Amino acid sequence: MADILTLPQEARSRIAVELEKHREPKMPTHRKKYKRDRHKRVKLAFFRYCYYDPAFKFFAEQVLDVDYLTLPEATRRTTEIGEQNSTDYVCTPFKHILGDYVEALEAGADILVQFGGPCRLGYYGELQEAILRDMGYQFDMLNFSRGIEEGAIGWTKQCLKLVNPDINIPHAVRQLAATANMAVKLDEARDFYLANAGFERERGAFKRAWASYEDALRAATCDRDINEAFRAAMDAMRAIPLDKPADPVRIGVVGEMFTAIDERSNLNLDEKLMGMGVEVHRMMNLTNRYVRYNEPNLRRGAADYLTYDMGPTSTLTVVAARKYAQEGFDGVVHAKSAGCTPEIDCMPVLQQVSADFSMPILYLTYDSQTSDTGLDTRLEAFYDMLSMKKEKTK
Amino acid sequence: MALIPQPDLADVQVIGIPRGLLYYRYGPLWETFFAELGRTVVVSDDTDRAIVDAGTLVSVDEVCLASKAYMGHVDSLTGRCDAVFVPCYASCDPRAGFCTKFQSVTDMVANTFRDRGVRVISCLVENVSKPKEVRQAYLDLARRLGAGPAQAKHAWKAAMHALEADQRAKAAAQDETLRLLAEYRQVTASDPTGSHERPLAILLVAHPYIAHDEYLCGTIVESLESMGVTVLFADETNHARSYKASFDFTDTLPWVINRELIGSILLLQDKVDGIVLVSAFPCGPDSMTDDAIMRYIQGTPILNLMIDAQSGTAGVETRIESFVDILRYHQKGGYVHG
Repeated sequence: MADILTLPQEARSRIAVELEKHREPKMPTHRKKYKRDRHKRVKLAFFRYCYYDPAFKFFAEQVLDVDYLTLPEATRRTTEIGEQNSTDYVCTPFKHILGDYVEALEAGADILVQFGGPCRLGYYGELQEAILRDMGYQFDMLNFSRGIEEGAIGWTKQCLKLVNPDINIPHAVRQLAATANMAVKLDEARDFYLANAGFERERGAFKRAWASYEDALRAATCDRDINEAFRAAMDAMRAIPLDKPADPVRIGVVGEMFTAIDERSNLNLDEKLMGMGVEVHRMMNLTNRYVRYNEPNLRRGAADYLTYDMGPTSTLTVVAARKYAQEGFDGVVHAKSAGCTPEIDCMPVLQQVSADFSMPILYLTYDSQTSDTGLDTRLEAFYDMLSMKKEKTK
Repeated sequence: MALIPQPDLADVQVIGIPRGLLYYRYGPLWETFFAELGRTVVVSDDTDRAIVDAGTLVSVDEVCLASKAYMGHVDSLTGRCDAVFVPCYASCDPRAGFCTKFQSVTDMVANTFRDRGVRVISCLVENVSKPKEVRQAYLDLARRLGAGPAQAKHAWKAAMHALEADQRAKAAAQDETLRLLAEYRQVTASDPTGSHERPLAILLVAHPYIAHDEYLCGTIVESLESMGVTVLFADETNHARSYKASFDFTDTLPWVINRELIGSILLLQDKVDGIVLVSAFPCGPDSMTDDAIMRYIQGTPILNLMIDAQSGTAGVETRIESFVDILRYHQKGGYVHG
């Protein structure tokens, strides 16, 4: 595992001597740099993010009414491209996403989508656009960091101006609600999956069920399709025979939005835990962070530890850890990307939670160099410790 | 409507303010505010090795250098005051927010020092671009400290005056330096003998809690000045003007301090010979804005320095020396005509 705590020698200083002003001191805005073919269908691409690809597809096709470009599985190359073209100590999701964008553009995307957020995420889009343009790519970026001052109206204007001027707004609003419903249904099914897939009698049964669920959602065109797919998937998953002990080792996963959920960034943390026979719980998902997020009320649940909102995902992290501790979970895994300020600032709080409830917490920091085997070792050691502790207290 | 705050902090007589992070931005405001409320204010001493070490000891390894220093300051205040003032500056304005550090620092301090009985007083400032909200936050704090409404308002007014006077004085001093520089440049340019060395001015771009911290950035400023360079601080430029100017550079940058720094670069770029960016490792906002600045600010040589707790002063000095050499060589026409 690379050392993320020390500053690499080559990053200590950089000099740029560019005496001519070749361009305006201005980051690229979304004015049209090149003319698209009017008759060509626009291809829109998101970055790879967890299991939400069907929801992104639904959003692109049903809400924005454009073609969606599904990206293949990420490879080592994706990360390498992202890493090479970003600064050393920017947070890891930035690098992963940059790699995704390069691959999307190579695959023919016209428009890339980036979200906004209150931490560094809010600046991702503009900087990534600048980097990609410097690399020579031509595209438009639908950056939800723009227009954020006007809220929904600003974003709608963005979509109309940049993606598709012919969006049928009432229809799009209905389908947007369906997109949110899809995210909720994905998360709900995922919760069941995480809690049970570690105990399947036949290896791979849950994965198959999940794959067909995703396929069904990818084919969905309205709210009813989503609900039907969900029912079918839940039936299929409930029918899978389990070998579940009465009191299995239960681990809660908390952490930052990207790394705690995204399998590629956290090197299949879920699967690794489930492979050891662990019931996994994770409160952090789009449902709990966006669809049903009420920060002040959520914070009341951890009032002993939190006075204020500490950051974009901090409340959810601390509240989840505390909830797991109260419910007698065996341990918690805190996953974050290297240099994620809000989650690093949560750690002193989590340490207190851990001490008060004497529940072990494993702190994992991922960067693009984190090794798979190193993670295996740490998770196995953590699991062994938890199961031994469980044996003793029986 | 919120409830009228109760005077639950009335017994706090001595208030400690850690000399770190936003103290370098709002110091005069806080000191005057509490002094006007009849409290004794203890500001922790200047940062030194011991403070950074103490802060590193109680911090998580991965936090930035400025945060470690801040924790060290809180640590040094334990036992010297009744309560430590750690305000929470949140980022409700997506274009004038702060690093999430300033939002989380209150609870971070409270949890880190929980077992050592450090009392934390705080107020929540959600949106610095709305002066009324900021005022209300401080008025509520004054009420909690037992002040009456009139006294609270008076204290706030005095505090704001102190802050504005301080900012005005710094901006005026910078304008004066720039004026003198321009004059001196004319003198040397019209001097045919060339006996006067032409002045060299550098804009130091760093968060105020780095730039004005003797321990963290002192070596850099000193070694620049010892080479006869005039150092201008980007954070001292008129805040309103530089904030506005930054929108010419970037649309979505969410941090107000970085916006002011970038605005200052745009305003002063043609009046200085070089730019030095100083970041504390691993600063979140700087990890992105440094890259943006290096990509899009052209026409002026830029040196980007990263400082961490381990770095010795020797490395920094050589780097600055070679940068100043580049500037001098360029000034003599080396790169243009050579």
